[in-house]
Amino acid sequence: MDVDLRPVKKLRESAAARSALGPIIEAVCASPADLSRLRLVCDWIQYKQNFREPVVSRPISTSGTEIAFDLRRCSDIDLEAGIKHALEDPGGLALEPWVPGRDSCIWRFNALYWQALSDWEQATGQEYEQSLPGGESDARNTEAARELILELFRIWDELDARRALPDELYVLELGVGNGNQARTWLDEFVQLDRRHGREYYRRLRYLMGDYSAHVLERARKAVEHHSERVSALVVDATRPGITLGFLAGKAFLVYISNVYDNLPADELACIHGRTYQVQTQAFLADDDADHIAGQANVSRPELPKVIDRLLRIGPELLSESAPGQFPDTRTAVGFWRAAWEALRLRERYVPLEGLDSYQVTAELTGEILRPLIEGDGDVRMHVSNGALSSLTGTLPLLHPFGRVQCHDLFLTGSHQYRTGFYGPGKYDGSVVNWVNGPLLQLVASRRGFAVRFTPFRQRPGSNITTLTAQARD
Amino acid sequence: MLLPTTVVGSYSVPEWLERLKTEYYQRRISAQHLAEIHEVAIKAAVKDQELAGIDIVSDGELRRDNDVDYFLARIPGVHIPQRAKTDYFDYYDAEVTRPLPEQADSPETSLDLAADFRFTRQLTQRPVKFSFTGPFSLSRRIRDSAYDKPGDLVRALARRLNAEARELTAAGADFLQIDEPFLAGYPEHVELAVEAVNLVTENVDATWALHVCYGNRYARPSWEGHYDFLFPAVKAARVDQVVLEFARKGLDDLRLIRQHGWEGWLGFGVVDVKTSEVEPPELIAERVRRVLEFVPADRLMINPDCGLRHLAPEVARQKLRAMVAGVAAVRAELTGGDKS
Repeated sequence: MDVDLRPVKKLRESAAARSALGPIIEAVCASPADLSRLRLVCDWIQYKQNFREPVVSRPISTSGTEIAFDLRRCSDIDLEAGIKHALEDPGGLALEPWVPGRDSCIWRFNALYWQALSDWEQATGQEYEQSLPGGESDARNTEAARELILELFRIWDELDARRALPDELYVLELGVGNGNQARTWLDEFVQLDRRHGREYYRRLRYLMGDYSAHVLERARKAVEHHSERVSALVVDATRPGITLGFLAGKAFLVYISNVYDNLPADELACIHGRTYQVQTQAFLADDDADHIAGQANVSRPELPKVIDRLLRIGPELLSESAPGQFPDTRTAVGFWRAAWEALRLRERYVPLEGLDSYQVTAELTGEILRPLIEGDGDVRMHVSNGALSSLTGTLPLLHPFGRVQCHDLFLTGSHQYRTGFYGPGKYDGSVVNWVNGPLLQLVASRRGFAVRFTPFRQRPGSNITTLTAQARD
Repeated sequence: MLLPTTVVGSYSVPEWLERLKTEYYQRRISAQHLAEIHEVAIKAAVKDQELAGIDIVSDGELRRDNDVDYFLARIPGVHIPQRAKTDYFDYYDAEVTRPLPEQADSPETSLDLAADFRFTRQLTQRPVKFSFTGPFSLSRRIRDSAYDKPGDLVRALARRLNAEARELTAAGADFLQIDEPFLAGYPEHVELAVEAVNLVTENVDATWALHVCYGNRYARPSWEGHYDFLFPAVKAARVDQVVLEFARKGLDDLRLIRQHGWEGWLGFGVVDVKTSEVEPPELIAERVRRVLEFVPADRLMINPDCGLRHLAPEVARQKLRAMVAGVAAVRAELTGGDKS
């Protein structure tokens, strides 16, 4: 039996975590599972809202089973019953077939959250920024803005001296939040430009891109006094080139904050030298399914179809199309929130026949993963497909002297996957997943960009890390 | 022949070849096996060019990891402390701590470019262009603590390349090209670069081309700007042809050819190598018609903007075929002949 204890820091810090280990082993040994074919994995799931029960089992193809425990919740449950339940037919109401993680409906829930944010906010009575850890977005700070702007001035002066400065100076922000970052940045730009005396503000084109028209509208109002310099565009962050192709080779700065952790991702695992894809299936536990169906006045077998309909058309249209079940948008949002809260994922490991048969993004095969996944024993890691697609779509937008600056939840070393849990979890109505930083670094490097990670200076001690990408050589 | 078609140098490096090159650095395949793989790939590249109808072919520079390392690793006196690479395309860190030995002092220290040329020569009946990176660009990838004046390293490299050029012509090469992909980033050094080019070409009986672009590292330009910096300095270069990129940047800089009275040939870049979108022959033809307003047909050679290294093999083939078809159409208009 393999035993994989990942949350090494918590094991030192938490007596509860340590004290759960003995009973876990006792309970596993008392179970009917074939111990010679068993992997036992212990995590510490830091998200209070997540997609997992405290004990779950995952088939590893036909070669064995993995039982996973959330140490955070193991001290006060009946472990033997939990293991028995996990190993039995898990039941529940499946909302989708088995799929790679990025194709799971959890991402449709995530997309709906951003599309119908105002409905969600009205129902919860709080703006989404308040649901972020600390209650505000991380990206607004005059000092940080000044530093970036002065660096731009330096580059522009140099290009100007060589008659190589374009007429229009593009800056792009992806994931604009409430517009505070843009406002801080632009206000600071005006002041510094006045002092600098080169009239760069006149040539500035500040593009705000966001997936949510609602968020974009709020941000646009925040920078209304810069309206001649600012354009707002609805952008799918995973395919920036579609909307922003005209920007190829022109952007001097692409600023991205808290976007990548919210984009679809697969997971791959290397177990005993063999590579597996983690497939997932979203489901509702039996009790939850019955409860939600009852509340919505639909039959249990109908429930997946109603949820699918919600995800396709949103709460407002759902209410309009089924007024008998959802008399107003608020009721439909209540249904949405209940389904989201109850949403769980079950997982299984499916062998991958050759890395090159796995498509990371439309342009990138799994070959790129080889150094990370086959480098150093057993590991399970995010492929961060959405973030990779976004980054590789963003890099071509950069001017040769441009840079990407991105604040997000990045792992900065592959070893971290052996020592902690990094998602997926739930943040309010959205999904949160840490981003595989070394993978982004590797892919960017193969495209001629140096990526470095530094602690997020504006909030010491936070989990946020700053990624900077610039052309190398 | 009017409007001969050619390539700039590098040819598409398939993903499998990239992987094998990297595996060599990870010691998974031997140098001997990699050399054999390169030879097979070069044969295929030459055949691809022939099938596409290219008039003057190249070896695709497929032995070279990038535009610099193949040369620096072979030039005596250039020290490369760490020869392992994570990825084959990465540049070496190179340094020069003492003045480079002159080739005349150690004639056995050839870079052996002539052997590369001979291999290609026996593969095809068509004329062969052989290109190598110029002294100025090579110098930009060397940490120099040997020379008091930076220009002296460039000149020393130029003398070394001059010796190679002589060996190349002795092996039968008659069309040589100097590539200066870094020059656009250092326009203030154009006079030095031209001086070095003249050292390379000195007393070498060949047709000489000089290729200056805005960089093609990872299919992206390394710099932006205009060719203004190149003129009039390049008129002092003892070369027969300048090979410039126009497809990606647009044709505005053609005005410089007329404005400065460039009397040599122009290698006119009509295919954008930084996009996988294949230009239709009609667009190629239109670009060629435009350049004819600035340069007479008997001083024009038609080529892609730069090397095809970063394009997928099928895209490279399609682009070359489109280029040949576009040129054939214009050639027919000029001569009243068959367009095919």
